[in-house]
Amino acid sequence: MKKLLLVTLVLLLALPFTALAQDQPHAGVEIVTNFMESGTYDIGAEQLEPGFEEMTGIELEIVASPFVVLVQNNITDLSTGTGEFDVISGDFWIGSVWNQMHPLDELMERDMWEPNIIPGLMLPGPSGYFDGKRIGIPYSADAYGLIYRTDIFEEAGISADWETWDEFFVALDALDAHLEGTDISPNVFAFGAYEQTPAIFLGMYDGYLVDSEGNYALDHDKAVAALNQMKSLLDYNPEGATGLSIDEANSVFLTGKAATMICWVSFVRADAQNPDASLVVDNWATAPFPGPGFPFLSAWNMFISGLSENPDAAWEWVKHYINEDEAKRRFVELGVGSPFLSTYEDPELIEQYSHDFPNMVHNLNRAESVPWIFAAFEIFFRHMGEFVIDAVDVETMLANTLADWSELEVPEGLVQSAAAQGQMQEG
Amino acid sequence: MNSPPSTKSKKANSGWHRRHDLPWLVIFVIPAFIIVVAVQFYPLAYSAFLSVQDWVLTESQVPKGFVGLDNFAKELSDHIFWRAVRNSIWITGGALILEMFLGVCLAYLTMGSSWRMRAIRTLLILPMVIAPVAAGTLWRILLNSRAGLVNHVLDMIGIKGPEWLATADGAIVSVIMLDTWQWTPFVLLVVGAAIASIPADLLEVAAIDGASRWKTFLHIELPLLMPLLLLTLVFRMLESLLSLDSIYSLTFGGPGYSTYTLTYYIYTLGLRSFNFGAAAASSWIFMLFASFSIGLVFWFQRKDW
Amino acid sequence: MGRNKSPKQRLLALLHGLILLVACLVVIIPLTYLVINSVKLPREFLTVPPTILPSEVTFQHYQELFEDSKTLRHFRNSLTVTLWTTGITIVAGTLAAYGLARMRLSAMILAGVTFVFLFIRFYPRVTTVIPFFLVMREMDLLDTVWAIIIGQLGITIPFVTWLMLVVFQDLPLEIEEAAIVDGANVWQRFWRVVLPIAMPSVAAAAILTAFLSWNEFLIASSVARRKASVLSIAVAGFVSDKGIQWGPMAAMSVVMIVPMIVFALFAQKYLIHGITFGAVKG
Repeated sequence: MKKLLLVTLVLLLALPFTALAQDQPHAGVEIVTNFMESGTYDIGAEQLEPGFEEMTGIELEIVASPFVVLVQNNITDLSTGTGEFDVISGDFWIGSVWNQMHPLDELMERDMWEPNIIPGLMLPGPSGYFDGKRIGIPYSADAYGLIYRTDIFEEAGISADWETWDEFFVALDALDAHLEGTDISPNVFAFGAYEQTPAIFLGMYDGYLVDSEGNYALDHDKAVAALNQMKSLLDYNPEGATGLSIDEANSVFLTGKAATMICWVSFVRADAQNPDASLVVDNWATAPFPGPGFPFLSAWNMFISGLSENPDAAWEWVKHYINEDEAKRRFVELGVGSPFLSTYEDPELIEQYSHDFPNMVHNLNRAESVPWIFAAFEIFFRHMGEFVIDAVDVETMLANTLADWSELEVPEGLVQSAAAQGQMQEG
Repeated sequence: MNSPPSTKSKKANSGWHRRHDLPWLVIFVIPAFIIVVAVQFYPLAYSAFLSVQDWVLTESQVPKGFVGLDNFAKELSDHIFWRAVRNSIWITGGALILEMFLGVCLAYLTMGSSWRMRAIRTLLILPMVIAPVAAGTLWRILLNSRAGLVNHVLDMIGIKGPEWLATADGAIVSVIMLDTWQWTPFVLLVVGAAIASIPADLLEVAAIDGASRWKTFLHIELPLLMPLLLLTLVFRMLESLLSLDSIYSLTFGGPGYSTYTLTYYIYTLGLRSFNFGAAAASSWIFMLFASFSIGLVFWFQRKDW
Repeated sequence: MGRNKSPKQRLLALLHGLILLVACLVVIIPLTYLVINSVKLPREFLTVPPTILPSEVTFQHYQELFEDSKTLRHFRNSLTVTLWTTGITIVAGTLAAYGLARMRLSAMILAGVTFVFLFIRFYPRVTTVIPFFLVMREMDLLDTVWAIIIGQLGITIPFVTWLMLVVFQDLPLEIEEAAIVDGANVWQRFWRVVLPIAMPSVAAAAILTAFLSWNEFLIASSVARRKASVLSIAVAGFVSDKGIQWGPMAAMSVVMIVPMIVFALFAQKYLIHGITFGAVKG
């Protein structure tokens, strides 16, 4: 009798624990997640850490590294089979190790988890895919954008409704005439940050980026036209624009010295509305990014490492971090571009960001990522830099680029990404 | 003392060395040897192995096989490699001349133990304390053509400052300036310490002899300082060739390929493109040059042994 | 030197002072600008013309820095790495240099040993960080300060060994002879006779080693993740893919300078020992 009582007692005592254990199937598991050290994505993760740990019992370790170190760490970790990171932050920069990621379709289906993310961002390219399987989910979204001064446009009687760069240049000419005699330039772009110049090129170019044989290539005529058009933008830029870094170009706009700016909008959005940092508060808006090319997309994905010993626990963290409410909060508090449709449909935010939202969503929906590994990107932007400072002509620049590209191999994952986004040569 | 130190040493050496000192001396060397060789040997040997392998980490998890000297041949025929070599020579050459000259001058001008000289010396070595990444960004602000302090000051005295970072020549000069600003203190410090070690009475004797300051320097101090000056020269040369963080944050290697140095090139190959074979081959080409420089210094010093 | 200086001497003194003044200004102005930047409001960066005196002094960048719990950890790690690296380097490097200098090796062997050291020192580290990473992984040292220290020692010890080797070779052996006559063993000679004379160079070596270790980025960033992360990595974190956070970066740079100034001031004492050994030389 006593024995039975004891057993019952033990069982009764154990009950809450088993219940708890069922709630927390991964209790005690340790997972490592990494982010770029930026004071945004990483801070967003730190803010979630205590709540996540308490809820799941998972021990979460957040590693934040500077951009260059992050890319290096991710590729080293996967290629050497080290497996330090369970959840990996990245995008096409790490396309060469996409073959090593854990497929996510089954997990999503199992949990019936369908995040309400902007449809374009869930497609291969913006989202990491390998062999037709999803491996990455975007947690941020930022398309290359074009912002303009509403007050100046109004004065000059111009409307920002261009669809192509040709139309945009017509507007620039009108601005040029209107701003004659002022120290305000029609446009500003960080030409000095030459790793940014491809963004303009991509907006002006609507040819292929990978040829039919799966090598890095460009349509010669279209590329020449785009490169020349890109350079002609310099005529509308302030003197010394070839020396402007991103921050410097931003400050030109924020101090009211430019009528339009081509930029990462997420990097100016908050400052532009902050009277402490801006002279253009309430006097600017986001315009459509002209075509026929596409707005260059920066969309950080979360991947689960194929080397992770706890992919299920890692998955819990992915679902926790990529979350509608959190994305909205990160957008409002930290300025992280949200991939969720709901952020842009939020009535409060629509009112607050009326100058910004409609075209931002428009641009995001058109945005594409590129199939370039870093080496390919570097070859392109450096030769482009030579062209921008007049060290070489356009034909030489293109020939040099193609010659250097011929040494590279496009990783399988990025060939697939290019194909899915229509960036492959037909035939 | 006007005779080279070597002859004296040799004479003294003959009756001086004791056999039982040797075990002690060997023990002295062992810790350094273990730390340096044991820990670094594997990476170095591995890199030698890689230089004859075809291996791009992002294309294949394991080396694709032995390719003989292909990697070397490919590097030596790569126009960007040579562009990088040329940039490195300009940048390091320019910086080295300035640093050695200014460093030695300042070492002499800040001699002495008065509190004033001590303060000045401490002040002058401060540029070295700044993290290269931060130093690069600091100079980015200073050299900004529109909002930079340098052009602002030039403007005030009626000179229109150049586009420092937007032109090829301007960018090279900027990198030289940064290197000189940050590393002249290295020369100052090492040479200053060497001067401090020169026996004061030696100089006093020369002064009594009526030797002019310049002659004293030329005939007494310079020969004594020579080994250290050579060492400083080689160290600064190779260090400057290897510098990466500061160039990365000042010019990002640009515009275009304007300040893309050999180290930058190797860095991109190795840690951005993960082309280990090519990166290792270029590193060994670099070491060939480094070895030659080190060998040259040894040759100059050989009479002292 | 007499109290009455000739005009020529006065002119020289003036010139001397003037050159030093210019040199100091060249160092001070950028540094001051760094300090000013660290207390500037974001909108006053990159203004035209540059904002030299901020309209408003803000300590927000410092405040953010110290409110971040990671700063303290980075600071502690940097300090640990620098102290150990400098300590081990000076002890091992100086001893090794003395050993090599007094071993009476043939010139060829000595050159060979030194050469191996220097070769390791100057081999482009960007090519060896991944193999080094793998070694550290096998030794289970990833994300520890020891991985950083060991990596840095490969750079610092060869330098100090070579520097001190040159210094010891230049010291006349006579100065040790008196000690030998007194029956001092090799350790005592090193400690009591040689080291005090070579102190300025040891101090210079220590300063250089500490500076290098404090700011070293490549090795640290390849083996440190979170627990062992250091300030030099954190300062690079202000450079993102979309721009630079000037203010916080300036603030952290200023914070990073302070401990090294203290160290340099401390080491200065030994930089000017200036012992005369003319008496020994006869």
